[in-house]
Amino acid sequence: MNARDDLKQRVKSLIVRQLKLEIDPATIRDEAPLFGDASDGLGLDSIDALELVLGMEKEFGIKVQDEEVGVKAFASVDALCDFIRQKAA
Amino acid sequence: MSLEALPHQYPFRFADRTVERTGPGAGRVRAVVSAGGRGVSGGILSGALVGELMAQAALLVAGADPEPGKSGFLAGFSDLSLERPPLPGDVLTIDVAVAGRMGPAVKFDASVRDAGGARVASGSVTVRRGESAPEGRV
Repeated sequence: MNARDDLKQRVKSLIVRQLKLEIDPATIRDEAPLFGDASDGLGLDSIDALELVLGMEKEFGIKVQDEEVGVKAFASVDALCDFIRQKAA
Repeated sequence: MSLEALPHQYPFRFADRTVERTGPGAGRVRAVVSAGGRGVSGGILSGALVGELMAQAALLVAGADPEPGKSGFLAGFSDLSLERPPLPGDVLTIDVAVAGRMGPAVKFDASVRDAGGARVASGSVTVRRGESAPEGRV
């Protein structure tokens, strides 16, 4: 498994663990929207966003400064991975 | 937020003593558990009501943050742990500190101690701040 795939897996595991979702992390599509309509993605809400912010800090040592940054970073697993890579660079 | 501005009314107001800031995003609230009417039989506060107490303390501390006049509501509990149920006559100190925030949602870590400093409960509450102050009391 390469570094990109490893990061995606870590992010998906974080989402499931932090939000206590009863799903297999592998079923989360990379490009699916995390928030909003559950029929298209995970259907997370603002409280879930806060939990993910806390999880990101704990797992990756990355702070999400504000809501504007958070909305873009948490758009999808792909977007979150891009955000983490940017912050780590 | 002052105690008077807390939207909860008795017998559902549990945080009813002085509020003081203890640091950035942190505060201390005191409460006296009275007998009868508040909790389960004999006035004992159940675990759920201890969570509500933490939430009211958090709201008081959150209300003291820069955006005065905004209300809020309890959006969730997590990792709530009760050492013992508070009893009538207990004087409780609730320390709350911001654990994180995103938009209108703020998560607080809270610990409740009795007058002797012994731990009574701990946990986290998430408060969602409203858009405007309430016109009437809840």
